[in-house]
Amino acid sequence: MNEILTQEKSIYIQIKEMIEDDILRDILLEEERVPSTNELAKLYTINPATAAKGVNLLVDEGILYKKRGIGMFVARGAKRRIMEKRKEHFYDDYVKRLLAEAVSLGITKRELIAMIEASEDGGESHE
Amino acid sequence: MSKLVAKGIVKTYGNKDVLHGVDLELESGKIYGLIGRNGAGKTTLLSILTSQNPASAGTVTLDGQPVWENPAVLEHLCFSRELNQLSGGNANTMKVKEYLNIAATYFPYWDQKTAERLIQKFGLDVKKRIDKLSKGMLSMVTIIVALASKAEFTFLDEPVAGLDVVAREMFYELLVEEFTETGRTFVISTHIIEEAADVLEEVIIVDKGKILLKENTQELLERSYHISGHEDEVNRATAFLEVHHEEHLGRSKGVTVLLAPGQSLPDQYDVSIQKLSLQKVFVALCGEES
Repeated sequence: MNEILTQEKSIYIQIKEMIEDDILRDILLEEERVPSTNELAKLYTINPATAAKGVNLLVDEGILYKKRGIGMFVARGAKRRIMEKRKEHFYDDYVKRLLAEAVSLGITKRELIAMIEASEDGGESHE
Repeated sequence: MSKLVAKGIVKTYGNKDVLHGVDLELESGKIYGLIGRNGAGKTTLLSILTSQNPASAGTVTLDGQPVWENPAVLEHLCFSRELNQLSGGNANTMKVKEYLNIAATYFPYWDQKTAERLIQKFGLDVKKRIDKLSKGMLSMVTIIVALASKAEFTFLDEPVAGLDVVAREMFYELLVEEFTETGRTFVISTHIIEEAADVLEEVIIVDKGKILLKENTQELLERSYHISGHEDEVNRATAFLEVHHEEHLGRSKGVTVLLAPGQSLPDQYDVSIQKLSLQKVFVALCGEES
């Protein structure tokens, strides 16, 4: 939650993604209260309506839920749901751009696959 | 929910029109940003909205009640003007403390605790005379008056002028804090647009005495893009879009586009598409030579 806002994306999208990242990293646990929109607004010095927009997107996706008069909470299964959603978008978010850059540099698909296989990070060990 | 409504505001000084027919509605519970170039009419508009300056034509009402010389309405409004060492009047030889005491009697909802907390926070010497303050210290005084006034509609003209970057950030933090606690309406004019952008729910752009645009800041930024690439490709990509601020360098061309409702970004062209900051959008809209 203590990341710095950038210009590249809409602020409410960044608020949404920061909460998701915190859930993925167990900084925010399931069934735990998340900071209120006013707390987020004060932390980032942004308009509370913008913070609310980001939080409400997560409510719509079932990642957060509202407890009346108490606040917003992380839903059970939120972490799994975020991972599934990001996997679905992985091709569009990363692979497409990777391929486009490879094509413009004349890197073949075979060379690209070889690079991935030779890399030491990621892959098999996770799940 | 209160509403401050200006209709058909015209202001003429001699034979010079400063405002020509401004219509504006301000809802309670929002932070508005008022941006425009020097001489666009921002300060004149703020002073007319708060009855410190008569309009040549048009009306300003709060929930249907006229604002002009109406104490029952004016107690809900605060226009904390930019202070200036050189401008005439008695304020200059007064000490900060005396100036704040006058403000305290003028604003019926004045909160002395807030005033004292802010004096501490800014480290302001209240025994100093107004005409001995630096530009930044004068801004601190206007900020203290604005926040401590507790007026439902509070207008700040260039509140961060002359403040160093730490004090400017402090101001926006104080503003958000006050807003989350009270839901008061704030209208803030500033030239340092990027620092204010994230705090503003709506942005009002004033250009040459008219309201050029009034829109939710995030929505405006989500329909504003910079498109660049080979001139021919950029022309094809932007053929049906609202285009501003063209720039050329050899075969390359860059433009700012504002998408209309229902329009989407061109996606089958070999062009770069980038998001814009509020400052860039403002320059694209108001930077064109007249």
